[in-house]
This record gives sequence, C-alpha cells and structure tokens, in this order.
Amino acid sequence: MTTTLRAAKKSIGHIILWVYLIIILYPFLFVLFSSVKSDNQEIASNPFGIPSTFHIENYYEAWVNAKISVYFFNSLYIATLCSIVSVILASMASFAITRMRYWKTSKGMYQFILIGMLIPGNALLLPIFIMLKDAGILGTHLALIIPYTAGAIPFTVIILSAFMRSLPGELEEASVMDGLSAKGIFVRIILPITVPALVTVFIVNFIGNWNEFLMANFFISTDELRTLPVGMVGFRDIYNTNYAQMSAGIVYSVVPVMIIYAVLQKQIIEGLTAGSVKG
Amino acid sequence: MNKALRKPWTYVLFLLPVLLLYVLFFIYPMIDAFEKGFTKWNGIGAAQFNGIKNFDRALTDDKFWNSVKNNGYFILFSVFVQVPIIIFFSLLISNVKKLQGLYKTVVFIPSVMATAVIGILWSFIYEPDIGLLNIILTKLGMQPVMWLSEPKWAMFSILITNAWQWTGWYVVMVLAAILSIPKEIDEAAVIDGANGFQRATKVTVPLIMPIISVVIMLSIAGAMKAADIVIVMTKGGPGGATDVMATYLIKYGITNVKYGYGNAIAVLIFVFTLILTVLYQWLIARRSERIEYE
Repeated sequence: MTTTLRAAKKSIGHIILWVYLIIILYPFLFVLFSSVKSDNQEIASNPFGIPSTFHIENYYEAWVNAKISVYFFNSLYIATLCSIVSVILASMASFAITRMRYWKTSKGMYQFILIGMLIPGNALLLPIFIMLKDAGILGTHLALIIPYTAGAIPFTVIILSAFMRSLPGELEEASVMDGLSAKGIFVRIILPITVPALVTVFIVNFIGNWNEFLMANFFISTDELRTLPVGMVGFRDIYNTNYAQMSAGIVYSVVPVMIIYAVLQKQIIEGLTAGSVKG
Repeated sequence: MNKALRKPWTYVLFLLPVLLLYVLFFIYPMIDAFEKGFTKWNGIGAAQFNGIKNFDRALTDDKFWNSVKNNGYFILFSVFVQVPIIIFFSLLISNVKKLQGLYKTVVFIPSVMATAVIGILWSFIYEPDIGLLNIILTKLGMQPVMWLSEPKWAMFSILITNAWQWTGWYVVMVLAAILSIPKEIDEAAVIDGANGFQRATKVTVPLIMPIISVVIMLSIAGAMKAADIVIVMTKGGPGGATDVMATYLIKYGITNVKYGYGNAIAVLIFVFTLILTVLYQWLIARRSERIEYE
C-alpha cells in the first residue's frame, strides 16, 4: 500500500511540474502559432490550435519591411564585439590579480572591482548618458559598445579570477624556469587552460548584451542603429494592429538565444548563477 | 626567484585597460551623480549649485513616492509570493528522478530571454481582444480584463510577468543547493521515520537557509533594478500607476532634460538600495548565516 501511495505522490509531483512547464512554454507556442496565422481574426477565433494555413510571408514582412534584419545584425555585431573585448581585457586583469603573487595590492584591487557588482546599474544610466553626450558619441554605436564592454568587467573579472586562482602555481614557476616572460606565461600557459571559463563568460556576456534594453533605448536615436530589443518594441508600437507579424518578430528575437541555450545550457546556467551568488 | 613576475609595470600593463574602463563607467558616474544631484542643470551651460533643493522636491513629490511604493510591490511580491513558490518547486524537482534534467532546463529558459521581448510577448498575452488570457476568461464565461490599461490591474500584470521570467532562475540556484546536501542526512531522517513534508521543512529547508537568504537578497536587488519590463509593457502608465524609481528618473532626467533633478533621483536610488542591503544584512542574513551544514 505504501508503494502505491508513494507512486501516487510521485505522479502528483510530475503533474504539478508539467503544469509549470506548460505555463513556461505555452506563451512561446502561442506566439509561434500566431506568427503563421493570416490575421488577428484567426488568432482570436482559434487561439490554441495549429493554424489552418501557413502564412510564412509574415516572416518575410517582419525581416525585410519591418527592418528586423537591420536590428538583428546590429545586435549581433555589438554583442559579439563587446563580449570578445571584455573577456580579453578581464582575463588580462584577472591574470595580474591572481598570478602575480609578489604583488601586495592584489587583494585590494580585486575588492575594488567587486564594488561594481554592488552599484545599482539604473542609477548610473543618467551620469553615463551625460558623459557620452559630452564626449560626442551619444547616438552612435560606440555609445553602447564602450558601456557594454565596461559593464561586463566586474562579473567577468570575478569569474575568471576564481578560475585562475584554482590553477596550481607550479605551472608558471616551471615556465619562468624555461625563460618565459609574464606575457608569455599569460598567452601560452594561462589562457589555453582557462578556455572553459572564457567560453562561459563570453556566452553570459553575449546574452546580457544581446538582451540589454535601457541603454540601447536611450543612447541610440536612429532607427538604422537600433538593437533588436529596442527595434522590437518600436516595431510593436507601430504594427500593434498586426499580431501575426509581431509574433514573427518575437520568434526572430527568441530563436538565436534558444539555440545558444540549447547547445551551451550548462555553461550558461553555471555562469549566470555563479555571477549572481557572488554579487 | 624570477624577474618576469616582479616587474611592477607588467601588472600595470595588464590591469590598465580594465581599471580605466571600470573607473570611467562605474566609479566616476557614481561620484558625478552625487555632485550633479546638488545642482540645477539642463545640460546647456554650467550646472548651478542649488543645495538640497532637488532632494527636497523629490521627497515631497507624491509621484516619486508612488514610484518608491511600486518598487516596494516588486520587493513584497518577490519575497512573499515568489520565494515560497521557488522553494516549493525546487523541493519538488529535487525529489523526482525521472525528467529532472528536462524540468531544470525548461524552467530556466525565460531567464536567458530579453526582458524587452518577454514584455512584448506578455503584452500580446494581456491584449484585451485577442490576447490569450482574455480569450480564456471569456471561454470560462467571465468578463475580460483590461490587464495593462486599468490602474488596479497594471502593476499586478507586470509582477506576474516578472515572476514568470525569473522564478526558474532561482529554482535552479536553490535546486543546486538542495542536491549538494549530503544524502546521508536525508537518509537518516527517513530512518527516524520522518515523512516527506517533515523532511522538507525540518531537514532540507533549514539546510538551504543560506541560499534562500541569497535568493531573497537577489530578489530585492532585482526589484530595485526593474525598469525595462515597465517601460516595455506600460511606460509607467496608466497615469503613473506602474512607475518605478528608475522610470521616474528616466522621465525627468533623460526625457525632460532635468539633469540635476535626475541625478538627485539616481542618488536616492543608491541610498535606498544601500539602506535595504544594510537592513537586510542586519535583520536576516546575520541570523541565517549561523546555520551550518555540519
């Protein structure tokens, strides 16, 4: 009797979890179905069902006429560039902080950068806006590229320092014996071993930059330079009468992240949760 | 022993770019906000010092306090509604063996999505005529609800969307903590005759108090940060009903070019966040840290 009771409890657990999964996944499915429906009327009359006819042209309209393609490549370029640069710079700094152990200020430097995790980002929005305005780069892609690169630094340094600290010290002692310089140790010894951590921080930064909205919304004013999240919001505001096309736009914004997540979920979860716990 | 690792300029060279960016985009803006918050400045010409006038204006403005109150709703909802749900689902997932990986993977999905896109997706779901929610309500014979345009529903609708986005992220964090508890502890409880509910409340939850404490702290930090979801879904409306401190700052500081006043709001965001962090450390974190695993 107890075994049936336990089995019943187990299946109740699974049922509750499936309800949760449906609540998570159904909105995506709703949008996916809506994206190939003919018009609002079909969405309203048949909200749950598979569309009667497939209107793939919604995707064409969104991609070309609504300029989703422009926003998409702006986002891709900015997110990739910023993530690469911040990972390179942060790995250099983490190397200095953790491996140059004759250096007395190493711990203080680490804690100084750690403060960045505690500063509420929203409060920095206006002073950075003014600073970029004074520098004359407000409204250009640089107005996102530099703050995105800088913004990722505390998190990236924390993760990379933690990783580098765990590497045995004998490694570079041996390399010094072999006559390598600090630069040589960094490039030939430390970087290759750090690759898994570098991939993690790159992906997490990429997703963060790809998704960023506030700066992208207020620091860029020309349509041609907008990133995907901001472009999507503008697109909704203009085309909010055509939900089928709007759904196609949402699919474009969601799919790349879904693919990255499907392939690299372990690194992403580790990176995001590690970054948050330290903060 | 070796010269290469002792040269101070090598450190400087490795650190310089990061330090430069960090000071320029974290430390300097913070100091700048504190300085400009005490001025009247529209961005043209020099900023004029005007003492605590900006702060006085903000703290006597009902609209500002309304935005503070809405940040408060975010905090209350995350701590008292979301956190219990997070613990419940983490316990549930940790207890199943079949499909555990699937549950963990799927619940995390919304956390990697852009908040802006999730805001758009949910605005569609909340849409009065063809949105999913009202279609369900009408099919059940109930009255449709103006989710985002009625003041009494707008904040609630945003809180639901926000919870939908972030619950899974915290579930994965708590789940990791539960799974790292040594099996023997739970087995011992089973031998002592504890049932599932007793094991959860008397054994597992006390053991994961430190991570729950972290989750609460992060929820509070997240609640103070919320702004993009509000801008995308309601732009602070209807009539300021969903404004939070950050959207209030944007309205005055950026849209209306009141830099002095905007920076004063930025300072207030710093101060409020700091007060919450200190209060939290003092009231809760200090207590929960005392519970040790062994």
